[in-house]
Amino acid sequence: MSFDPALPDDSVNVSRTHPVREALVLVAGIAGIGAGLFVAIALAVDLLVPRVPPQLESWLFDGSWLSVADGSREGEAADPRSAVVDDLLMRLSAHWPDHPYAFRAVVLEEDEPNAMAFPGGVIVVTSGLLDRVESENELAFVLGHELGHYQHRDHLRGLGRGLAFGLVMTALGWGGGGTARLFTFAGLLAGRGFERDQEAAADAFGLGLVDAEYGHVAGAADFFRRLPDPNDGVTERIASYLATHPVSAERIQALSRTAEEQGWSALGPVIPLATE
Amino acid sequence: MDSAIQSAIEIGFPLSLLVFAYVVGSTIERRHYRRIRVRERQWQRVPAVTFRSTPASWQVSESGLVTGSVVISVDYFKRFLAGLRQFIGGRVKSYESMLDRARREAVLRLKADAMERGYNAVVGVRLETSRMANGRRNGQGIAGLEVLAYGTGLLLRQPPA
Repeated sequence: MSFDPALPDDSVNVSRTHPVREALVLVAGIAGIGAGLFVAIALAVDLLVPRVPPQLESWLFDGSWLSVADGSREGEAADPRSAVVDDLLMRLSAHWPDHPYAFRAVVLEEDEPNAMAFPGGVIVVTSGLLDRVESENELAFVLGHELGHYQHRDHLRGLGRGLAFGLVMTALGWGGGGTARLFTFAGLLAGRGFERDQEAAADAFGLGLVDAEYGHVAGAADFFRRLPDPNDGVTERIASYLATHPVSAERIQALSRTAEEQGWSALGPVIPLATE
Repeated sequence: MDSAIQSAIEIGFPLSLLVFAYVVGSTIERRHYRRIRVRERQWQRVPAVTFRSTPASWQVSESGLVTGSVVISVDYFKRFLAGLRQFIGGRVKSYESMLDRARREAVLRLKADAMERGYNAVVGVRLETSRMANGRRNGQGIAGLEVLAYGTGLLLRQPPA
């Protein structure tokens, strides 16, 4: 028997696909599947939301989770300004007759200025926002804006999207870790586009409430003017993309236009906030 | 703004880790393949075959156990690719080259062991693979893969031709 030594074959056991190509194809494919799932669930939520009666919503979210949210644990006093915010919220919501919600304002200890509409009629305002607000009119517009989200039921849509996103991420097996953040970031950017229209609609509604309360809309958008404009520079642009309420010159201009169209006066006395 | 910086770090870190792992990992792999090919050519005339018994024409004067083993680890980039594969299925191409290198390296070390012991051929070559468990993740993580090649080293009076 003859021995015929041969060199191992280089080409049989190893695929020739370039690893970078493989990575790009896999990432794009899986991101595509995830995005498709997300859009499908988001659309389903949008179809479902108008069919959820507000009574059911209030019953589901009775506010029992609030003790966690407002940090008012035993022996810890709630923010003294929450009564002022609550009172203002009541006055504003009176201009939305027959609203089906029992509105309530809660102040959350948090430096980042923000306001959020939660299911069941609970509006959370951060202490950081109250620190930066300079007049009652500014705060009224912020609250009116959040009330606008209830009118369009955006808060449920937002909740549904959040759930959908969480579901998709879990289905893909990325509860945490670097890859998850990569996809979360992409998802956040994509989600912002969805929200622009909702924000504009909520702005218009909120401004209407401010006009109904004070008889003018002067000073309402001043708070926004003091926040960084996303068109000012790169860092502002990034910050604005990440913010839940991006503020741009366009948005403020849109507010002025709405006020003009509706014949809401832009002149009037601005009331200082009675918090101190 | 803080959240922007935070996000940039959270995304940038794993991303640069991936790029780093890819660059370093593929350099190591390329160099390893080069060394493998050089030695394969060099020791081409030393047979390492799977026959269970020696061919009748071979005249054996000495014999003994010879082994060659290698432990090879997977880099972050390959693991990332394999992780994506785990989701949709298909060939885990990123691990193929790693295992190919390990098998060939093990056989080369088997030949080296045989030559060190004074043999000039190996028969009954077998390859075995085992996973080296990682202490983290309850021992489910992979620290590396071992490929063991073993066989019977033979001293032949006349090397096969």
